[in-house]
Amino acid sequence: MALIAAHGLTKIYRLGRVDVPALRGVDIAVEEGEYVAITGPSGSGKSTLMHILGCLDSPTAGSYHLAGEDVSELRGRALARVRNRKVGFVFQTFNLMPRMSIDENVALPLQYRGGQSRRARLEKARALLERLGLGERIGHRPEELSGGERQRVAVARSLIGEPAILLIDEPTGNLDSKAGAEVLETFREVHDAGNTIVLVTHDPNVATEADRSIHIADGLVAA
Amino acid sequence: MSFLEALWIGFDEARRHLGQTLLSLLGLVLGTGSIVTVLALFGGQSKITQEYISEVGGFGTVIVRDRDQSEQPTARELASDRLTYGDARYLKDKATMLSAVAPGYFNQLEYRVGGVDFRGTIIGTTPDYAVINDIRPMVGRYLSDLDVRRRSRVMVLGWAYADSLFGDPHRSIGQLVTLGGRNYTVVGVMEREEFYFAAWSGNSLAYRNQRAYVPITTAFSQYTGEDESLSFLTLKAITPTGARAAEEQVSAMLLLRHGVEDFDITPSGGGANSDADFFMLFNFIFLVVGVISLIAGGVVIANILLASVVERVREFGTRMAIGATGFQIFSQVLAQVIVVAVIGGLGGLGLGAALTGTVAHFMSMPAAVTPPIATVAIVTSLSVGFVAGLYPAFRAARLSPVEALRYG
Repeated sequence: MALIAAHGLTKIYRLGRVDVPALRGVDIAVEEGEYVAITGPSGSGKSTLMHILGCLDSPTAGSYHLAGEDVSELRGRALARVRNRKVGFVFQTFNLMPRMSIDENVALPLQYRGGQSRRARLEKARALLERLGLGERIGHRPEELSGGERQRVAVARSLIGEPAILLIDEPTGNLDSKAGAEVLETFREVHDAGNTIVLVTHDPNVATEADRSIHIADGLVAA
Repeated sequence: MSFLEALWIGFDEARRHLGQTLLSLLGLVLGTGSIVTVLALFGGQSKITQEYISEVGGFGTVIVRDRDQSEQPTARELASDRLTYGDARYLKDKATMLSAVAPGYFNQLEYRVGGVDFRGTIIGTTPDYAVINDIRPMVGRYLSDLDVRRRSRVMVLGWAYADSLFGDPHRSIGQLVTLGGRNYTVVGVMEREEFYFAAWSGNSLAYRNQRAYVPITTAFSQYTGEDESLSFLTLKAITPTGARAAEEQVSAMLLLRHGVEDFDITPSGGGANSDADFFMLFNFIFLVVGVISLIAGGVVIANILLASVVERVREFGTRMAIGATGFQIFSQVLAQVIVVAVIGGLGGLGLGAALTGTVAHFMSMPAAVTPPIATVAIVTSLSVGFVAGLYPAFRAARLSPVEALRYG
């Protein structure tokens, strides 16, 4: 079975008395080690798809297997466990904790996983930051870093738990073109190291970085 | 996530949100501090009140008085002689629950020695009076059974009277004092009695130094024309805890003799002094203020936490996205408030101890922050923090990750 195997994913939001379908039966398969871009205009349903693929939300109908586990019926605590172990998120706005140092930020997913001492978690986080070229920034707070550096901290945080997939939301949206290029280069390196990446973007130039594109329109896979 | 780790995170959170923490702390420290102070002063006060009660006769002392006559007295009431010296002798003879019986005749009479004269108190009583009230002569002796039997014209002076009449208690012995036109020989002077509820308040026992004691039989023969009605009757139970049993026995025996319940029996010391009442009121006001400030502190904490939860919705969304469960979010918020509450409780304890020390020092009152008071302070602060933190923590834990990430 593919790493991501989703069939007939449907998501319907209820706004007052009106049902608004965001996804209307999406089939997606992503193999291990792939680098896939999900594209589409705003309102197409790609964010909803990313939330479901990232186990932040559950589909109204359809099945979703992530790394062999049926997660479409999971809720609450069980879903949180899957997010913690199998998914790494990189947000458009980085979403780093402003009052924590970057190493504490990177170590955070391990804290929620439990089982490791604070010292071990921080050591692992620092090693990862070194590998991503942020060794000299260890101990600093996010606000003391450039946009590109913050994005790489966010990448480190998504990688620390060794997840099955990396979900990246509009990675260059908040960066200038130079930093954007650098970050895309980082993703390429991460992918080359064997990680599976699903990147969500509305920018066709960014999508070309991926090996394959899935276009979403009106809640359906268009091509 | 272990409990220790949750507390560590709570401490970390409290440190990272220093502004919120300090504001919350202020409410808790002030509230806990005033409660600690009140409890400590209250403890000191009740100790001092107990000392006072023991000074005026102690627990187990019972006072019998004539009850005010009804507006339309019944025949039985009119027929009763009310409390008499006969009642006292009867109780002394027959009541098994009593260790001492002191009947009293109270009057205001003219004192005269040489050129000095004034109106003052005399108390006609028996030797048991000194036993019950735990008073001793400083020089000479107290009244004796022989004095009572012989209706001797002897008197024992209170310290203040001896001082003002003779200048020196030691020179009073053997002197003659004219009391309501009759001469008495001074055979003793009582020790000076004093009791202070606080440094600024006067001697609560000053009245005991301003009187003279004469045998009750002498008083009746000299001033009442053989009417042996008592002004009061003070009794001592055989044990300090036996006051209630003694009261019941005395009540039954007097009822039998009088044929009607025309007397009141009250324990000594209870409500006996307005100073203690004043302090109770004072403490009560402080306690109310303390409780109100704690509640205000709790509301402040709840508000600050709620605002902080709203402010940090995206943060909670992110934490959930990277794997935090609702319970972990709940624990995080609650741990933060609990750490603040513990620090607030300790701070309040410190403030309370300092306030208590200051008040106790300047007012010369016995007051101390005891382990039970310290426990109450910490537990109170913790409970306030916990209750105040529950709702915000619940709100944060119930957030939907998707909604939270979209927020703001």
